[in-house]
Amino acid sequence: MASDVVLVIGGGPAGLEAARGAADLGAKVVLVEERDCLGGTPVFERYAALTHGFQDAEEVMNRLIRDVTAHPSIEVKLSTRVVACDGEVGDFRVALARTGDGASETVHVGSIIVATGFQHFDPGRETQVYGYYEYPDVITLADAEAMLKAKKFVRPSTGLPPERVCFIQCVGSRDRQIGNEYCSKVCCGIASKQAIEIRQQVPNCKVYIFYIDMRMYGYWENEIYWPAQEQYKVNYIKGIATEIIRKGDKLLVRGEDTTLGRPMEVLMDMVILSVGMEPSKGTREIARILGVKQNKYGFIEVPHEGVDPVATSVPGIFVAGAAAGPKDLDDTMSMAGAAAMKAVAAVRKAAVAPGRG
Amino acid sequence: MHGDGKQAEGIPRKERVFQRDPDLPLPEDIRERVFELEEEGEWIVQRVPEPYVEVPTKYGRPKKVPLQHTWHHKSCGQCGHIPGYSTAIFWLHRKLGLAYDDPKDQTSCTGWNYYASATSNAAAQAAVAVRNFAAAYATGFFPLIHCGTSYGHYKEVREELVKHAELRRQVREILAKLGKPLVMPEEIVHYSEWVYAVRHEIAARRIYDCSAITVTVHPACHYYKLVQGDAIYDPDIYGGQRTAVVTAVATALGAQVKDYSTWFDCCGFGFRHILVQRDFTRSFAVGRKIETMIEEAKPDVVLTHDTGCVTTLDKSQFAAQVHNRKVGVPVMSEAQFAALAMGAHPYRVCQLHWHAADYRPLLEKMGIDWREKWQEFEEDLERIRRGEKEYLTWEDVEAEIPARHFLQVS
Repeated sequence: MASDVVLVIGGGPAGLEAARGAADLGAKVVLVEERDCLGGTPVFERYAALTHGFQDAEEVMNRLIRDVTAHPSIEVKLSTRVVACDGEVGDFRVALARTGDGASETVHVGSIIVATGFQHFDPGRETQVYGYYEYPDVITLADAEAMLKAKKFVRPSTGLPPERVCFIQCVGSRDRQIGNEYCSKVCCGIASKQAIEIRQQVPNCKVYIFYIDMRMYGYWENEIYWPAQEQYKVNYIKGIATEIIRKGDKLLVRGEDTTLGRPMEVLMDMVILSVGMEPSKGTREIARILGVKQNKYGFIEVPHEGVDPVATSVPGIFVAGAAAGPKDLDDTMSMAGAAAMKAVAAVRKAAVAPGRG
Repeated sequence: MHGDGKQAEGIPRKERVFQRDPDLPLPEDIRERVFELEEEGEWIVQRVPEPYVEVPTKYGRPKKVPLQHTWHHKSCGQCGHIPGYSTAIFWLHRKLGLAYDDPKDQTSCTGWNYYASATSNAAAQAAVAVRNFAAAYATGFFPLIHCGTSYGHYKEVREELVKHAELRRQVREILAKLGKPLVMPEEIVHYSEWVYAVRHEIAARRIYDCSAITVTVHPACHYYKLVQGDAIYDPDIYGGQRTAVVTAVATALGAQVKDYSTWFDCCGFGFRHILVQRDFTRSFAVGRKIETMIEEAKPDVVLTHDTGCVTTLDKSQFAAQVHNRKVGVPVMSEAQFAALAMGAHPYRVCQLHWHAADYRPLLEKMGIDWREKWQEFEEDLERIRRGEKEYLTWEDVEAEIPARHFLQVS
């Protein structure tokens, strides 16, 4: 017998919005989250302001979380993992296991939305020349977010405010040598947003961004990119840094200024690596469990991305957000809405004509 | 061996200990294709002989390093400019009782031709490589490459041969004229990987105290920047974030390895600059490397693991002295340093008299009486002058080492 329940896997922005959307459309929703709290990467990594609109990330996520937890049609299962799945559209049986006490159960659902997200590229894996695991003052975008949120943007080695900070773009993205040829889409915007926040919190600090191209999609151009330069005096330098080394108590950033066409060496107090997106461990795991195809990078493959951006290789299983590849929050929320609609449609079609979701 | 390691309190940051995610896809392992091509009848794969040591590489994959029965692919630059380099490698084998072959029919890899003059072509370069591999295979001993250029170049050749059937056909035709089979070693192994693999055995046989010796390490570009996947990265050395080979040997010997800001830089040799822009090489070696090391680390010795690096860092100091630059730090391979620590003769074995920078303060600090050793070496030369000997042999070398330090050579 077909089930009218929609299972949402992942409690980050995509999963929350998909659950809310599906429930608002009248479906019963089970939302499974591996961690013991909702909110996903923005909460877990302690994001400061959202890149688009500079809204406080915690406030935005809390509103979303409240909507979901208060919704009468949504059952939230925290600290719970999907461990097995069989069946077909309209009639999936999904085994769940709770971390901690190991309790297990099987839920009967009609469609599934995968919203297991991304993880930040680990610069220790490949780009060791940037010294992330060697020098405390080399940090990542995620580290910087947490510091900016805490309103304590200081050099980790000294606890003192920095005088010179630079971002290095495209760390783990657009890099054919390491196999991540894709652009992670959000890093240019986030770096520019953080550059503004640094200038706001540490006004005497000079901020530089070393980039290949600045990819400021849509309104980021006028909302972030130009204000960063004109209002906040952030320096954009076209050229990729090749390595970071310690020089006394500073960091020496070396690379090439491609505009001037010459090598450069600049001393910095802190370096922020604009690490890109990779599929999260959960995304890779759930793809195997559900039997949905992954692309060569490990993200969930969307066979007809241009016209059907939330379908997977398995009918009745949909994907939303960065589980399907690099996405900004706008894309993520749009996908979540589309996935909710498709998932609800699938259970209703299956109820009418089983096996034709 | 982690950076400065300082961390201010109260800073919201995660503990940074790099751990490779075993589920993440790794770049292609060319060795798998090497075996597949053997199954397809394209070539013979020479297996790493047992016993071997499995060492960790950049992506966490193990690499087999043979302990003995190795065919020593020597280096043109070592034999020509710093002969104590290769002699020290052989001496270590003898002292550890590990069998090796010092072949007479090895050719140059012609890598400098490839890098500097570009007068060669892919088939010619690859044919030279596989000719040497076939020569090793014929002896039953496994290639161990002394030279960083050859090592890096052969890894590039391996990749070209794996990926281009036409190139394999061309070199097979050339080899057929020589009457040799097309052979690809299971691993391409640099001598410094062997030294890394036996570093604890070396340390156990150390007779001089190295604890007061400050070392700076120059990792060779040809070793770890070309075909990076099978260079040794050890989680215990630099947290697995830099190649471990030379540093691991120095620390095993008890020496103090100090960091300096230009560790990542080339020695100045470049892939071709020493041949086509020599003044640039000399200036770079002195200004970017040696003077920086002296200023930041005050080393007693610079250790590295490639022909070009030793010669460039060492001999560039000679010209700089004329210009009153602050230079004067000895440069040698980690094999020479390890051999010295084990009691090798600084002249008969390590042949430090071929080196330009003054090595004698280092020897004194290690407790080696260089005056006495030099006197012995001069007596050797006198014997040769008198016609009693044509040249020095291992008998002359091994007679010098106190008996308690001998191991039986197998």
